[in-house]
Amino acid sequence: MVSFRNGVAALALTSLAISACGGAAQEAAAPSATAAGPVKIGISLPLTGDFSEPGKGIQEGYQVWADMVNAKGGLLGRKVELIFRDDASDPNKVSSDYESLISQDKVNLVFGPFSSRLVIPAAQVAESYDMLFVEPAGAAKEVFEQGFERLFYAAPAIASDHYNYLAEYLLALPADKRPRTAAYASLDDPFAMGTAYGLRDKLAAGGIKTVVDEVYPPETTDFAPIAAKIAAAKPDLVVGGTQFEDSVGLVRALQELGSQPRMAAFSTGPTLAEFPAAVKGAAEHIVSPVGWAVSSGFPGNDAFVKRYKEMFKTDANEDAANGFTVGQIVEAAVNAVKCVEQTKECQTKLADHIRQGSFETIVGPLSFDDKGRPEQAHMIQQYIDGKVEIVLPEGSKAQTAKLVYPKKEW
Amino acid sequence: MTLLLQGLALGVLTGGLYALLASGLSLYFGVMRVVMVAHPAFLFLAAYLTYTLHTASGLDPLLALPVTVPLFFALGVAVQRLLVARLAPENLPMMSVLLTFGLALVIEGLLGTVYTGSYKSVSMDYATRSLTLGAVRLPYDRIVAFAVAALTLAALFTILLKSRFGRALRATIQHREAARLVGIRTERVTGYGFGVGLATAAVGGSVLALITPFFPAAHWAWIGKLMAIIVVGGLGSVLGAALAAVMLGVIESLVLVTVDATWATMMFYVFLFLTLIARPQGFFGGRLAQRF
Repeated sequence: MVSFRNGVAALALTSLAISACGGAAQEAAAPSATAAGPVKIGISLPLTGDFSEPGKGIQEGYQVWADMVNAKGGLLGRKVELIFRDDASDPNKVSSDYESLISQDKVNLVFGPFSSRLVIPAAQVAESYDMLFVEPAGAAKEVFEQGFERLFYAAPAIASDHYNYLAEYLLALPADKRPRTAAYASLDDPFAMGTAYGLRDKLAAGGIKTVVDEVYPPETTDFAPIAAKIAAAKPDLVVGGTQFEDSVGLVRALQELGSQPRMAAFSTGPTLAEFPAAVKGAAEHIVSPVGWAVSSGFPGNDAFVKRYKEMFKTDANEDAANGFTVGQIVEAAVNAVKCVEQTKECQTKLADHIRQGSFETIVGPLSFDDKGRPEQAHMIQQYIDGKVEIVLPEGSKAQTAKLVYPKKEW
Repeated sequence: MTLLLQGLALGVLTGGLYALLASGLSLYFGVMRVVMVAHPAFLFLAAYLTYTLHTASGLDPLLALPVTVPLFFALGVAVQRLLVARLAPENLPMMSVLLTFGLALVIEGLLGTVYTGSYKSVSMDYATRSLTLGAVRLPYDRIVAFAVAALTLAALFTILLKSRFGRALRATIQHREAARLVGIRTERVTGYGFGVGLATAAVGGSVLALITPFFPAAHWAWIGKLMAIIVVGGLGSVLGAALAAVMLGVIESLVLVTVDATWATMMFYVFLFLTLIARPQGFFGGRLAQRF
């Protein structure tokens, strides 16, 4: 018995000694290692699964930003190194990715993933480690209702404000031209519904009657019956809170069923390059909110477009621009507060700076409210003669053409 | 009223498509009690091949069938002989779920690598036009899909009922040992049965390409629906699956135009549960399916 106790005591002592040594060694090594090494930025993205396409777009945006920062000499003189994880569009995986990036890889900063569904679990982890969390794609209103204090959405507007310029335009039309009825169909997704309902609420308040209001689950594969419902109501305005295949499915089915609204607005789908081919000639005069444009003329945008083309051999897209914008904002904050450590003190300084500041980015000047919501609005694009033109806001630098209304028949 | 008729018409057309898409699944289960989770993944593999042939040659997507159907038949035989046949027979249904789930992931990954994750679509001139019958409009692409489904299923039934191979296949489905006793080479027949199942996926994929845009992960949305159809129809009964498919297509469409899309999608699972509670052998499966 005595010898057993001795044994235990010895073991305990040994383990104590080992852990003490370990602790001491780490403490001694830590400051010098991080001060000399690169600035590590941890990012989990949906590189496979449902969101793989936008996920890759954002990854490319981050890569272009890192490349351009490193070409300028890095952040505070240190090289930027991006560490990517693939969360397979899975909210559980995204949490564990950020846990391990922060606690094991000891990253200096984290950037956000794609889509509101993944941003919320990811931000919860970042928040629990007191880390700054600037994200490129969490626009649903729920994202900002979680009480996050270090989250900022690096785009011009949250989902429900995407159509603001369009709502203003429609409500300002003379009464005889203004649409009287509107049909709404939205994917059951916080972002998609946010965009459609933001417009619905503003138009309904302005007296435009809602005649159809459909929500369909993500597994919906057949859009013809939804379109039949819309066609039967003969609305002046059709609004889709869509992603991609649903926007194409709705447009095709509305055509087949002979529905001819005077205006058709769909979120996301029409902003993707594949859209015109998928709906053939029907893209003409469809409008969409868009957070970024190739020809916006905002400072740094041309350089981003050029470098993107050099690196990836194709044209930049909105997802990549949003990723790049995250980098721009964090870069500005780091340069202003002169620190880039994982410590609570440094991360708090960065978050405070972003909350109070205004930032010149490739999607326009951005500022944030106390919940991290951006305070600007999306531009509105329209297909005119087969080309994407920025039609709203009227009179802005980015505008390239006048909005066509009513639309041509599809 | 018009809306109901329109919903009914669309439901019948969509149901026909569902019947084609589910027929292969029913066959796999009938022939070898394999739950083929990868069937929708193969559908989209076929859709991508159709897309490639269509964009390379400009031919109508349905003209891809002479290439894809034999290819998928061979692929099916290979999958059965090289992979499925090696699973332990005691818990084949369970193990086949794991194996084919893996296959689905492999196909999705390959499609993502080769074609990238972006959306592809095949849109023909007739894709946005429709036939007007009174107040009801029937989209041409749906009519084409329905016609192809009907022809394929008719061919499938003819093979199953009239040909020597069909008789051997049905004998294998009904009683493997007895079939072997009368001299049917059940292993080979099973392989061909799997091949025929995958050949229906080749047809289904081409039709899908015609009516919907697709991306590598698109197949997940179909597994639940198609599985529900074959359970409601009676596992292993190709005719039952076809009837259940049309019935569920019509119900989905009618619920959608009268209630909403969430309830419409749920109908598949409501009927799945009703079937399991009231008639586990399936509504149209009958005596045959009970054996499994």
